[in-house]
Amino acid sequence: MTTLELKDRAAVCGVGHSVYGRKLNRSAIDLAADAIGGAAEDAGLAPADIDGLIVSMGTPYGADADTLAQVLGLELKMYSQTWAHGRFAATCIQQAAMVVAAGMANVVACMASLSATGVRPGLSTQRRRRSGGRGPDREAAREGGGGHGQDPVYGIDAPDPGAAMATQAYFERYGATSRDLASVAVSFRRHASLNPAAVRRDPITVEDHQASRLMAAPLRLLDYPQLVDGAACVLVVRADHARNLRKPPVLISGMQPLPAGRDEFIWTYPGFGVAQQARRPYEAGTQPVYRMADMDRSAIDALFTYDGFSFLVWMALERWGFCNPGEAPGFTRDGRIEFDGALPMNTSGGSLSEAHLMGWNQQVEIVRQLRGECGDRQVSGAEVIQWANAYGDSLIYRR
Amino acid sequence: MEAEYEKPLPGVTNLNRPYWEGLARHEFRLPHCHGCGHVWYPPAPWCPRCHSRDTGWAALSGRGRVNSWTVVHVTGLRGFRGDVPYNVAEVTLDEGPRLITNLVDIEPGSIRVGLPVEIVYDDVAEELTLARFRPLAAGQ
Ligand SMILES: [Zn+2]
Repeated sequence: MTTLELKDRAAVCGVGHSVYGRKLNRSAIDLAADAIGGAAEDAGLAPADIDGLIVSMGTPYGADADTLAQVLGLELKMYSQTWAHGRFAATCIQQAAMVVAAGMANVVACMASLSATGVRPGLSTQRRRRSGGRGPDREAAREGGGGHGQDPVYGIDAPDPGAAMATQAYFERYGATSRDLASVAVSFRRHASLNPAAVRRDPITVEDHQASRLMAAPLRLLDYPQLVDGAACVLVVRADHARNLRKPPVLISGMQPLPAGRDEFIWTYPGFGVAQQARRPYEAGTQPVYRMADMDRSAIDALFTYDGFSFLVWMALERWGFCNPGEAPGFTRDGRIEFDGALPMNTSGGSLSEAHLMGWNQQVEIVRQLRGECGDRQVSGAEVIQWANAYGDSLIYRR
Repeated sequence: MEAEYEKPLPGVTNLNRPYWEGLARHEFRLPHCHGCGHVWYPPAPWCPRCHSRDTGWAALSGRGRVNSWTVVHVTGLRGFRGDVPYNVAEVTLDEGPRLITNLVDIEPGSIRVGLPVEIVYDDVAEELTLARFRPLAAGQ
């Protein structure tokens, strides 16, 4: 039996997003409609053409797929949803590519909507204030432990202390410093300064980063993402279908799913040696996504990655073999990851400066880069862009 | 002991109850495999290395090394807000598994990856003992 050939079979035909911002006082369903409607319009389609919906996140921070279908009047042949955790952008888009290739639906909207800082139905902020803090985050209270290394009993329920410990282990192993990490935040803020949709557009310096407050040491405020309300949507169709629509298709050429196991941890690649990972030398080798896309790293014109913390950019560069373990601090210096640098990364400003939409805003930016729609921050001649994460999943898009 | 313990409590299940009951008796035990000798955390109904169900609870040395650490300056977590800044560490036990914990009897400036540590049974509430760790005295 041969495997199903999916290279270039599906394409993104439209992207859309809501405004991003803190305390927008808008419901997640309201924001979702802006993203879905915007993506349909971008593709030259109508909401009525959408017959598949794959939602990332959902309750308690966002709108759920079944609710969206009912409230927005979508007639769906299929829907699915990942749990309330942010790492599933590629998972959703990969599922959509398989669904359209298999003919199970024709136009699949993949999206996340978040109303995390504003309207939260059923959650009393009064009660939270009275108790002098909140109880453990739902994710941290999962049986078997939180996915970010949380253990609320010992004082960590949010993702950041786990990321901080991964960063500290890296610092002590390789002699890297917070100052080295600053260059990631500075580069992405430069991108955001060129992006009208970004929530933080004021340029920053390494000194600004070093002066920002310690949150979970060694991470500082400027190593943290912009937690906002907002929604973003990507429409996936068959490639031949996309060629007849309004915008040039962006083909999905390579896909690598999200791995799990005791050697996998959200903040670090296998062998890094935190959480329950073994500690052994890591070699990126030839990752399946490049084999599927029939290209190697040298074809990648820009690399996008989930930057929920600045440190994850280093992990992604090393995991995917753009540099060797320990070399990322040098790699990200001197503007080399800026849109006009050697390997442009996260040109919208990413989670650190545009908006933390769990990578969904980044999918929108990738598509726009490949269409040449990015104006002052356009990567010149961008033909192939990879989405590749510290936690091991990837997409290769090409125009 | 605090009169009213405001910090999060462990989610005790049939799988991890022996761990927490052991700590309350000041015994540090984790599941181990009679088939392959593996010791692991968190507790599981079979050995996560060889999948044997022939497992039991082994008494551990209570010693290990700091694998990494952080100092939390900002938390929204009930009961911990008054403690900031406080440390959280990941300790690699001599037997292999890693645990999230807090270090005691040490200033943040002295914490380093690789620091040898030993368990401290911290009776924080009635029937709740946490596994915290302190630096191993020189020569031990
Ligand atoms: Zn075993």
